[in-house]
Parts: sequence; structure tokens; C-alpha cells
Amino acid sequence: MTVRTVVVVGGSTAGATVLRDLRARGYEGRLTLVDPERGTNRPPLSKAVLADAGHEATVRMDHSSLDVEHVQASATRLDHEARTVIASDGSEHRFDALVVATGSRARRIAEAGQTGEIVLRTVEDARHLRERIADASSAIVVGGGFLGLEVATAAAKAGLAVTVVDVDPPLQRLLGEHLAASICERAAALGIAFRRSGAALVGGPVRGVRLDDGEEIMADAVVSCVGDEPATDWLRDSGLELEQGVVIDDHARTNLADVYAAGDAAVVRVGDTVVRGPFWANAVTQGRVAAASVLGLPVDAPVVDHYFWTEIAGLPLKVVGPLPLEGEPRVLEDAGEGTGLLAWGSSAVVAYGIRRSVPRLRAVLRELSERGAG
Amino acid sequence: MRIIADYDRCEGHGLCADQAPDVFDLDDEGDLIHHFDGAELPAEQEAAGQRAIDACPVAALRAG
Repeated sequence: MTVRTVVVVGGSTAGATVLRDLRARGYEGRLTLVDPERGTNRPPLSKAVLADAGHEATVRMDHSSLDVEHVQASATRLDHEARTVIASDGSEHRFDALVVATGSRARRIAEAGQTGEIVLRTVEDARHLRERIADASSAIVVGGGFLGLEVATAAAKAGLAVTVVDVDPPLQRLLGEHLAASICERAAALGIAFRRSGAALVGGPVRGVRLDDGEEIMADAVVSCVGDEPATDWLRDSGLELEQGVVIDDHARTNLADVYAAGDAAVVRVGDTVVRGPFWANAVTQGRVAAASVLGLPVDAPVVDHYFWTEIAGLPLKVVGPLPLEGEPRVLEDAGEGTGLLAWGSSAVVAYGIRRSVPRLRAVLRELSERGAG
Repeated sequence: MRIIADYDRCEGHGLCADQAPDVFDLDDEGDLIHHFDGAELPAEQEAAGQRAIDACPVAALRAG
């Protein structure tokens, strides 16, 4: 079947990659984007944008060069039999191929009716948090993952007294003990305090947290960085297989014909289980895979790309290879104080505190794998 | 249209070179090469240039 109309729901990194790649691959048919906004390039939100309002304008996607019909509404329903997406403005959009890229939303821990919980997911969230940081002298960050520590970094650099609360050792689940310990040491040197505990928000509006031992700590700003949930509610009765997200195969196909998914809204079927990797690199690679699949072209990218980067306590960190990073690394290049180019066996290469382009890191990893170093 | 590249912000992800191969490239070290740095983009490169700006994950490119 010739594809003449492609509908993409969601215009952020995954959806935008689909739009761009379809056009870059020569698709000249109709392209419809359903998204209330223009889509957001999200990685800078917790880094550059949090530190400097001037960067805000750069994170809004601009699809104007792609000949896209932009429906500024949310998708509310998929009628697969009719190959139609229904939008919140009542409009209906028939498709030959559909790509679901609705991303995810911040998980929240406030109780019903409790106001004032701060999260960071959207441009508006970032603006709100930046303004709060500017007025505050103290902050509590609930959640010691990448996002939590990026937020803690921004707050600490702005001069706030920052406490990160997590039931687990910060960063350890993904980065392993070695890097997590090193980064937390640097974060502590920036003035960031860590508390090992669960946390319940207290106050309405939220003014602090109650720890597991009953102690309450208060701060001017309390930010929940406790993960995200796929934004797939609108697909509930669509017939799509949902399991923490839309289940896709290595061609970004779903269980429904002509329906594909990519990015944070998707999970990848691997054998009997599904893998969720809500990172930017996966949104990009799955967008590429989906675009190729829609056009019936050979898929030339992996559906999971083990790459991510972050900036915590002023140090850039790039990881190429699957997480977590267990055990001690081999130091390929020593830049002092634990920083440098590090390798975990022949499966992961990390640039820690040094600038190194992604293509170079991938090349180092390829070389290690070929030599079978371990 | 001009595109201003912030070389300090660039992390070498290379998406700009994918989208606008006649405007951007990465050298052998993975560092950014901007063929129209400080110059107007040819009209036929503007669409690709805009795609490159949008694709940059670290907001290192902007129209100026």
C-alpha cells in the first residue's frame, strides 16, 4: 500500500524525528501533527533553561520547514478500524500510518487536593521552577535520579541550601556504585545535602516533606523528581497493547497494523519482557526506526540506543553502553580526581568530567568490543 | 538566515550534520564544523538549517 497520509501524535523529540526523517527520506505525502503545542526539545530544560531564561526560546520545536499540517489539539481517541485519530477539538484525522509519540508526564506524589507540588517536565515547569529558585533560599528535591540531581545542581549554583531525599543511594541504580559515589561527593562539595529516606509531601500548598522517621523538613521550594509515566491514557480502549507504554518491536511496530510508536510513550518488547528507556537517544533512534518502517524501508538504526548524558555538579557525563555500570572501571584516560575516560569491561565507555564527542566515544567502545577487552 | 553555533555548548551529537550535511559536519575528532559560520545560509539550505537547529539536543544552535 502506498502511504499517502501519515499522522504523528506528539511533536517533541520522538515525533519531531519522525517528521524530519520522513521528509529527509523523500516522503512527499500528507503529514499531520497532532499536538497542542509545537513540541519541546527536553534535555536543556533541566540544564541550560533552568539556569538561564535566554535559552528558553531554543527548546521549542519548529516544524515550519517540513510542510506539516499542525493540529493544535490533543489526541483523545484512536479508532483503528477506521484508521482515524480523533482530537480534542473534534477534528478527525484519517491515516495510512500512525506514529504514537505522546511521550510521558511527570509522576506526582502529592495527595489528592494537595496543591503546590513542583515537577519538571515542560517548558512551563522549567520557567516556574527557575522563578521559584530565584526567589528561594532553600530547596528540597525528592528523588535522587538524574533529573533530581540536575535540579539540585541548578538550585545549589543559584545559592540555595539544597537537600536531596531518596530512599535509595542517589544515582546508584543506573550508574552503579563507583560513579554514583564520585558524583555525590562533588554534589556535596557544592553544598547539596543528602537524606536517605522515603518522603511524603507536607503542607497545602506544599512546604516540605515528612521523612520515614517522622521528621519534617521544610524549604521554600519542594521539587518532585520521581520519574515519569507514559502519556497513553487516550489509547486505553484502542486495542493497542499497553504495558507501561505502547509495546513496540524492533521495527517500532505495535500489535495493530499501520500503527507505530516511539519515544517515552513506547516500551520495547525483548523476549518475554518489555524494556522502558525514557531517554533522549531512544526517542531519536525510535523516531528514525518508525520513519523507515512507515515507508517500508529497511531499518538501519537500533530500536534501543544505549546512550545518555547529564550534567551534575558542573560535570558533564556521557555514557555509551547499557546501564547499570557495575563494579570498578578501567581508566583509559586520567583527567584527575576520578574524572577522565572510563571503561566498564568492553560494554560501556564513559566520559566523566571531560568533553568528548559522542562519535568518538562510540568509536572507543567499538574498538574495545573488537579487541574483546574485559 | 544565519545560524550561530555555540561551540562550547556543542557536545558532538551530530544530529545537525544528519539534517543539514551541507551546512554542518563533524571532524575526525567529532568536533563541529559549521560551513557557514558568520555567513548567510544559501536559500536552499534554510529548511535543512532549521531542521538542524531543532534537532540539536543541547540547544547549541540558533538562528541569528
